[in-house]
Amino acid sequence: MLDPNQQFRGGVFHSSIPDGRIGADIRITPSEIIAEPSAEALTVMDPSQVARMPRWVIPLSECQVDLGGASGRMVFCRNKERDLTIFCEERGFAAMLGDRSGGMLSEQLHVVKKRQAGENHRFRFWLTVGVVATLLFGVIGYYSVLAAARLAIAAVPISMDEKIGSMAMQTIEKEQKLAADHPATKFVTEIVDRLKPHAAIPEMNFKVIVIESSEVNAFALPGGQMVVYTGLLKKAESGEQVAGVLAHEMSHATLRHGLQRVSQSLGIVAAIQFLIGDAGGLLALGSQAAQTSILTSYSRQSETEADLEGARMLHEAGLDPESISAFFDKLKKEDGDIPGVLVWVSSHPLHEQRIESIAKFKSTLAKKEYTPLDLDLATVKESLK
Amino acid sequence: MQYDLVCRPASTAVRFALDAGESITCEVGAMIAMSSGITVETTSKSRGGGGGIMKGIKRMFTGENFFLNHFTSQQSQQTLLIGPTLLGDCIHHPLRSGSMVVQGSSWLASSSSIDIDATWRGFTSAIFSGESMFWVKCSGTGDLFLSSYGAIYPIQVDGEYTVDTGHIVAFEDTLQFKIGKAGKSLIGSFLGGEGLVCKFQGQGKLYCQSHNPPSLGKLLGPKLKPR
Ligand SMILES: [Zn+2]
Repeated sequence: MLDPNQQFRGGVFHSSIPDGRIGADIRITPSEIIAEPSAEALTVMDPSQVARMPRWVIPLSECQVDLGGASGRMVFCRNKERDLTIFCEERGFAAMLGDRSGGMLSEQLHVVKKRQAGENHRFRFWLTVGVVATLLFGVIGYYSVLAAARLAIAAVPISMDEKIGSMAMQTIEKEQKLAADHPATKFVTEIVDRLKPHAAIPEMNFKVIVIESSEVNAFALPGGQMVVYTGLLKKAESGEQVAGVLAHEMSHATLRHGLQRVSQSLGIVAAIQFLIGDAGGLLALGSQAAQTSILTSYSRQSETEADLEGARMLHEAGLDPESISAFFDKLKKEDGDIPGVLVWVSSHPLHEQRIESIAKFKSTLAKKEYTPLDLDLATVKESLK
Repeated sequence: MQYDLVCRPASTAVRFALDAGESITCEVGAMIAMSSGITVETTSKSRGGGGGIMKGIKRMFTGENFFLNHFTSQQSQQTLLIGPTLLGDCIHHPLRSGSMVVQGSSWLASSSSIDIDATWRGFTSAIFSGESMFWVKCSGTGDLFLSSYGAIYPIQVDGEYTVDTGHIVAFEDTLQFKIGKAGKSLIGSFLGGEGLVCKFQGQGKLYCQSHNPPSLGKLLGPKLKPR
C-alpha cells in the first residue's frame, strides 16, 4: 500500500534558487507535486535567503516526466513551461506518481523507458559493428605485414641467412661438441649428405654438428647450420628416424623460417631494411635476435610447412616420409609425460594433427620403393656410452 | 571550517584552517603539511558512519586508496595543507543535496559529513572509453574538494553536452552519462582520433579537466626505465 503522506527526498531546479538547485522534500497530493527546501539545505543557507524560499508546485495534470541522472533511474517532473523541475531518485516515487495521476504518468514513464532502451540497443549494435570492423582491419593489416615480410625475405640473399646463423652459432656452447671424425658426427653428416641434393635450395651450405647433452633436441639455424644433441641419437630407433628429424630441420632452413621469425619480431621496418639493403643496421638488429630460442621456435604454420617439405625431401631421397611421424610417436608414447627433457617434442606441439597431415601428404605422392639407410645406429649409440 | 586554494592554478593546494573538533577526510597521501594540533586516523570507513571493509575494497576499484585519512583538529587555529598527485588545479564544490559522481583519481578531500562510496559505471563505458569501471560517489551535505590534471572547467549543462573520455572530473547526480560516438559514423569517429566520447544529458553541473591522465601515461610510459 502506498502511504499518501509519504515524503521523498529529492531536489528542485529553478532560476529563483541560488546555484539553480536545492535539496527538497517532496510530497505528492492527489492533484499536485509539492517540493519544499529540505532542512539540510536550509541550514547551510543564508537566513535572508531562507525567508525568501518558496515552495514549488507542479499540477499533476500538466506534469511531464522523464528518466535520467547518473543512475538512469532518477525521475524528473517538469511543469508546462519547463522552467521548474522537481527530481527524485527514491524508491516508490515513480509508483506514487503513477498512482496519484490515475496511471497517466506511469504510461508516460513507460514510453520514456522504452525509448531509452531502444537507443541503448541501437548504440550497442553500432558499437559491435565498429569493434568487428576494427578487428577486421587489424587482421587484414597483420596478414599484409606477414605477406610483405615473405616477399621481402624472398628478395634477401641467402648470405644474410648465413650471417645470422653464424651469429647465433656463436652463442651456442660448443665445449661439448663432438669431433668431426666421431662416429655420431659422421652418422648425421652422412644423412645430411644424402638429403642435401633434394633440398629446395641444394646450394645451401648445410653443416651439422653433434653436441653431447641429454636433451632430446635438434635444430637448424638460418643458412643451414644444424645442431643435433646426443640425447636425440640415443632415443632414436633407426637411422630413418634421425633422417626424419633432420629433413624437417633442413626444411626450416630452406623455407627460411628463421628469417621470417626475425622479420616478424622486428616488424616490417626491418623487412624493408632487408629490401633496401641496409645490412649494417640489420645485423645490429639481428644480433639481438640471434638467440636460438627466437630463431628456432616457429609458428604452427611454419611447422606444418617444414613437415611437408621434409616429407617431400625424404621421399625424393628414397626414404619413407613417415619417418618424421615415427620418431614423434615413439617419443610421445614413451616419455610424453616427462617435461623438459624432450625439448624437440615440446617445441613441436600438436603431433596428432601433424602425423595425420604427413600421412595424407604421403598418399598424394607416387608409389615408390623406399630403400633403408645403410647406416649403423647401434655402433653410434655404443660410441656415445 | 575555513579553506583557501593556494598557488592556483598550475599546482594548487588546499589550505584548511581548522578549529577544535573540526575534521576533514582526505585521499591517502594528499597531506603536504599540518600543524601539531591535528591528529590523523587512517581507516577504511568514512566518518559519516557508513563504510567499512567492503567500501574500502570498492574504493580500490575506482583507483582510490583502500584507506582514507581523517584529520581532526584538537585545538583551535590549526592549519592543514593538502594537494593532489598530478600537477593541476583544485576546486571546491559545496555539496548541498543529492550526490556527486567523481572520476576515481579526482577526489581529493571532503567534509567528514560526506559519505564516500564507489559506484558501478558498467563494462561498456570502461572498455570503450578507457574510464574506470567504478566511480566515486559522494553524497551528503558538506564541502567537496576535487583535483584535476591541468585546468578545471565548471560547466552548467542543460540539455546535452559532449566531453572527450578522460577529461571528466565529476558530475552531479542529475546528469546522465552515456558513451557515444563523436562523429556520425563510428568508423569515422575512430579514424578521426576522437573515438568514443562521453555524452551528458540533463541538467546539472559538470567539471572537466583540460588534460587527461591516460594520455600522459601513454606519452611517458614507454620512456620510463623499468624498475
Ligand atoms: Zn620444427
